Amino acid sequence: MLRLDWIFSIPGSAYRLVGYLARSFKRRFWLQAAIAFLVVQLLSWSGVVPNFGLTPVAAQSTNVTNQAGGSYVDASNTPQRTVSNPTSLQATGTASLTIIKTADRGAAEPGDVVVYRLLVRNPATTPSGALTITDELPLGLQFIEESVRTSPLQFTSITTRDRSFTLDFGGASLAGGQELSVVYAALVTPDAIRGSGRNVAQAITPTSSASASNELAIRPGILADCGTLVGRVFVDKNFDGEQQAGEPGVPNAVVFMDDGNRILTDPDGLFSVANVLAGNRVGTLDLTSLPGYTLAPNLFRLADNSQSRLVQLEPGGLARMNFGVTPAFGEEQG
Amino acid sequence: MNTLWTVLALGTGLSLGMTGAIAQAPSGYDITVNSAIDGVVTPDDDLTLREAILLVNGALALEALSPAEQALVTPAVTSTIGFDLPSDDTAIALTAALPPLQAVGLVLDGTTQPGYGATRPYLPNVPVPVVSLTPAAGTEILTGLTITGSDVTVRGLNLYGFAASPRIATLTTPSADILVINRALPADLDPDAPMFEGLELADPEATITGVTIEQNWLGTPPDESMPEQRSAAGVVVHNATDVRIADNLIQHHEASGVITGFRADGLELDGNAIIGNGLAGMPDGVRLEGSLIGAAVTNNLICANDGSGIYLFKPEGAVQIESNAIRFNGRRFRRAAVYVMGHGHTIVGNEIGYQPGPGVAVSAYPLSDRNLIRENQFAQLDGLSIDLLAQGSSDILHFQRGDGPNPPRNHHHRRAETGNGAINAPEFNVYAFRTGPDYAIVGQADPGSEVDLYQIKQDAGFYSPLTEPLMTTTADGDGNFSFDWDTDAGAWVSAIASDPEFGTSEPAPVIGLPASNGTLPARPPTTVPFEATCYPPVAAIPDRPAEPIVLRVPRNIHFALDQSFISLESSFILDQIADAMQTYPSLTVELQGHTDPRASVGYNQALSERRALAARDYLLSQGIAAERLRIVPFGESRRRTQGNTTLDYARDRRVEFIFTDTQGLDIIFEAVESDLQIE
Repeated sequence: MLRLDWIFSIPGSAYRLVGYLARSFKRRFWLQAAIAFLVVQLLSWSGVVPNFGLTPVAAQSTNVTNQAGGSYVDASNTPQRTVSNPTSLQATGTASLTIIKTADRGAAEPGDVVVYRLLVRNPATTPSGALTITDELPLGLQFIEESVRTSPLQFTSITTRDRSFTLDFGGASLAGGQELSVVYAALVTPDAIRGSGRNVAQAITPTSSASASNELAIRPGILADCGTLVGRVFVDKNFDGEQQAGEPGVPNAVVFMDDGNRILTDPDGLFSVANVLAGNRVGTLDLTSLPGYTLAPNLFRLADNSQSRLVQLEPGGLARMNFGVTPAFGEEQG
Repeated sequence: MNTLWTVLALGTGLSLGMTGAIAQAPSGYDITVNSAIDGVVTPDDDLTLREAILLVNGALALEALSPAEQALVTPAVTSTIGFDLPSDDTAIALTAALPPLQAVGLVLDGTTQPGYGATRPYLPNVPVPVVSLTPAAGTEILTGLTITGSDVTVRGLNLYGFAASPRIATLTTPSADILVINRALPADLDPDAPMFEGLELADPEATITGVTIEQNWLGTPPDESMPEQRSAAGVVVHNATDVRIADNLIQHHEASGVITGFRADGLELDGNAIIGNGLAGMPDGVRLEGSLIGAAVTNNLICANDGSGIYLFKPEGAVQIESNAIRFNGRRFRRAAVYVMGHGHTIVGNEIGYQPGPGVAVSAYPLSDRNLIRENQFAQLDGLSIDLLAQGSSDILHFQRGDGPNPPRNHHHRRAETGNGAINAPEFNVYAFRTGPDYAIVGQADPGSEVDLYQIKQDAGFYSPLTEPLMTTTADGDGNFSFDWDTDAGAWVSAIASDPEFGTSEPAPVIGLPASNGTLPARPPTTVPFEATCYPPVAAIPDRPAEPIVLRVPRNIHFALDQSFISLESSFILDQIADAMQTYPSLTVELQGHTDPRASVGYNQALSERRALAARDYLLSQGIAAERLRIVPFGESRRRTQGNTTLDYARDRRVEFIFTDTQGLDIIFEAVESDLQIE
């Protein structure tokens, strides 16, 4: 199968491809195909045609001619040939389905409901035969049975099995050129984080089948195990470990975290770090980064009389590491 | 009961902070201290300073003294403590912190001691004190005097050796020779003590006011040597308004000479000699933080400190910095001589020079403006005389040094991200003006700004230090300015522009004004050696001998692996260097620290600094003046060897001494290896 999206994504290559194909006359079909896509692409650039992933191939009819012939040896021992009249058979296009699958969002997190849409088309002129649609949902997505809507054909039954379900249309078939749209919703459960987010829908008829896949980016959302760390380094003038008016922040101070992250305070002495793994986190003030200052004593909290701060960072939570400093003397010489 | 109180007061030196009501007692005492003994209060013949302070504080009843002691006390309206110590015993060795000076109007007067009044020729306004206060050997005392009462005066005393010993994790509360604060602080959090009631800094009523500290020698004994135990800081004004610190010698402190904390409105810092401070802590000579409304720093000698001379860190209010001599600072950190944050400061008539950084730097973050920097004289700088930081710069270096010349303003947004509102430096119309008897020096500056023309006598490239202000004019509405130049002699000149709405600009590039015969005066380059001395030379420099002196000095000392202490062998080498420096006062030295290439760059940088510091501390303790020693740590960037044997590494671990002198000495450097320490 020709990867159309590939050509779309690399327009420059597509142009080169056209030139190459023009030289190679044997591949006239590919030339036509390439030019067709180029046209589609130009149209989509100009906004005429929405950018869809699959272009239905026009139904074709083929004229199959046949002629029979025979040979024999006549009385004078001369070989002779005889040819029948040509017969011609007009073969109509076969029912090869196309299917497109989209979701209403590119990324989801546990608790979200994702609405999927399927568009099944029969590009042929003949009916497709009895149609069924099967969709295998990604790990952790829960199919919501009541949400299924199909049109114009109405489904008659839903069979679910593990993560997949099958829609049966009671033997109805898609007429040539007819389209069937299917809408259904799925709930993202916490299990989804472990999965790939990719699912595959299949439309099946007795003579053909087509499949389309869709990938959903799964974010941990409420289940994220990261938190945010904020803090400040400031000149503590009343030795209470908190910054009040008149206690300026110290710029460019360095705080090292237990995982080796190096945090630099801004000109106001503030810092914040997003996406910090939850758990017991420790930050230590690098005293060499603030010459002339060192840690101030805290006259009210014993725990803050330390070079490091231990915080318990909850998943998705916020924790604070404040360092009060004071003008230094007796800096270490060893 | 009284005894209990005294024991408590003796033991902690703090408990009296809670008895503030007693300090309001209407009557005081006139007391003469007659003994340098310190210890527990006893009714004997000796009236000690501790007993006097307790008495004044109301924590000791007059009746608890012996009749002999009572004879030295007379009632008075406000209290005065004078001294009449035996002349051979004037050093008071404190066994514990003294109680805070909390009596309103108390005068603690060391000038009453007989024999007071001798002066040193270079410090005429700061007589040598006779009465010394220092911790007894092996005693840790945070502060010499804690002043918690309004209108207290401390005069004519000598305090040194007050510093907290290292704690496990954090530092202590401020430690200094003199701490001015509204309430005495515990050193740190003691879980067994009752909880500290807090400083109530935000309450302006809780502050004290009117303290005077004058004619004291802080941080150095009367012989001006480096004490074995250095004081932490000179004077810390943590929360007090209208403090006057005048005519003190503030020397040899580990942190700054003067530090302000939360509030020091109306601070008056006048006529002090602030020399050689910041040796192992806050490096700046004068560190001003917090609220400083109406503060003034005038007529001080600020010399040989480790960082800036004056550093204004995020202050509130405008500070007047006038007529100071700010020289030879930046011994350890290459900071600006004066670093300014904030609004509306005036820096006028100072002598600023011999700094390994710019003269005055004005920060871009926090955005600082309306700072007027005029009529100053600059010399021997490594940077601009006035450096306005641009582009909201807030990197590490931008809080120490400047960022060099700014381009002219190209958008009004520049005003919001550059110090002093991005006022443009004046631009002269030509690089060298035409010769002739009279002519006009014309150029462009911001419209309406006042342009000061400066003479330049030094050659440090396009932006040489502004040597001397010559004349002033005002730019017209189009920004054109013009000076009439009618001097025959040639000159090099530059200019700065000032606008009260924005402040003073950076200097213009130097231009030449040829003399009438077309010549320009010679300017000595900045590399010419200069005398390094804080005080103006009192004696004429002896004539250079006919024969050049050949001096052999060692060029380096070595260190053990990952160590920065001075070994015995190295100390012999340092003694030779100290000898040479004492013999030849014209010698100055740059101490360059180095490490071997192992361990990380950052670690080695710090290690090399510790090594250079250790060598400097040794030389300082040998009596070499701080202004003659400068520290440059190089880390592992300049190895001595190429190899990777333990011998090579041992040779790499060194401090090199780079000597310069003004007397043309023929110095032969000897690469001594007697102190190699091979791991």
